[in-house]
Amino acid sequence: MYEKVFVTPVGNKGMYVLDTSTWRTHRPVMEKALCINCCICLSYCPVNAIRFSEEEGCFITYDYCKGCGICAAECPKKAISMIKEVK
Amino acid sequence: MEYLNVLKKNPDMVSPGVSACQGCGGELILRRVMQVAGQNSILCVPPGCMAGSGVVGWNYDTGMKVPIHIPLLDNSASFLTGVTHLYRRLGREDVNLIAFAGDGASADCGFQSLSGAAERGERILYICYDNEGYMNTGYQRSSTTTLGSRTSTTPIGSALSGKQQAQKYVPLIMAMHGVSYCATASPWNMKDLMEKVQKGLEASKEGFAYLHMFSPCPTGWSFGQDQTIQVAKRAVRSNMFPIWEKSCDGYKLNYVNQTPISIREFVAGIGKFKNLSEEQLDRIQRSADERYAAIKALCGI
Repeated sequence: MYEKVFVTPVGNKGMYVLDTSTWRTHRPVMEKALCINCCICLSYCPVNAIRFSEEEGCFITYDYCKGCGICAAECPKKAISMIKEVK
Repeated sequence: MEYLNVLKKNPDMVSPGVSACQGCGGELILRRVMQVAGQNSILCVPPGCMAGSGVVGWNYDTGMKVPIHIPLLDNSASFLTGVTHLYRRLGREDVNLIAFAGDGASADCGFQSLSGAAERGERILYICYDNEGYMNTGYQRSSTTTLGSRTSTTPIGSALSGKQQAQKYVPLIMAMHGVSYCATASPWNMKDLMEKVQKGLEASKEGFAYLHMFSPCPTGWSFGQDQTIQVAKRAVRSNMFPIWEKSCDGYKLNYVNQTPISIREFVAGIGKFKNLSEEQLDRIQRSADERYAAIKALCGI
């Protein structure tokens, strides 16, 4: 009857991904001139919205950022500021 | 393992968008744990915040890039016991078997299965993210809720002023089971947390490993969503949550608190402690001091 044999059908269709960027009221903006790439924002971001690349260092992606503001509160150089989202 | 390399390079094993609240400590811990554990893992998440946020899947979709199971609230440790026996029979002892449970599913409902698995020495890494209550259903009290907390089952009013009983200290109970590795960790010290996950995964190949992690909850505890790490920091600095580990080398205090802050400073700005009386503050202060003294004595300091 079924082609697939599975214990539970969870995951049969794909991945559950919610568009959490719509929750955001304030967006974090990083001022790269102040950033020293200490990676504290990277380690504290609950959504893993902050990434690291060898060329750019730490940078913020906005696809899933919920705008909690932990990165701005914890940044030792105050390089991240929360700016209100406007349409 | 250099923790910064893990942070920078290891892929995220959780779905990028899950419906955990803004500033959730549990989501932060789950993502870090899975970055360390990697692809060769099987996860078991009992009902709770992380299961409710869609990590275990929703409508035939999965929320993880590794196999994940949702058992009942009280049987995650016994469920993984079965899985670990199967994998040992198959000769796959390299697979990391991880339970990621809240404090309700570890300290209250799931305690008998957790205690049983720990005593039998099953090869599991059991992680408890302690947000001090049943947050998923609207913050009911649990046995790890701090004294005097405002919860939906212990409200503030004329008859009752928050939770009347003291907090149960679970990590020491688990260490006394004689497990191969037991530790507490706070997201404030991310290096320490990730190294302990690594040590726990190694220890779980020989016996039971238990990690107790402090997970502040902005929604339930009523504090600003950007204050999660600061609350975790104050909990460690005020000796409410000492960071220690117990391995085959004995007990070790990982953060020696030279200048502890008072409980009054810890509770400042946290909404659930807003109506604490002086007597309740004294009781919390006394239990925190007692706890730190007991841990220090165990560590031989």
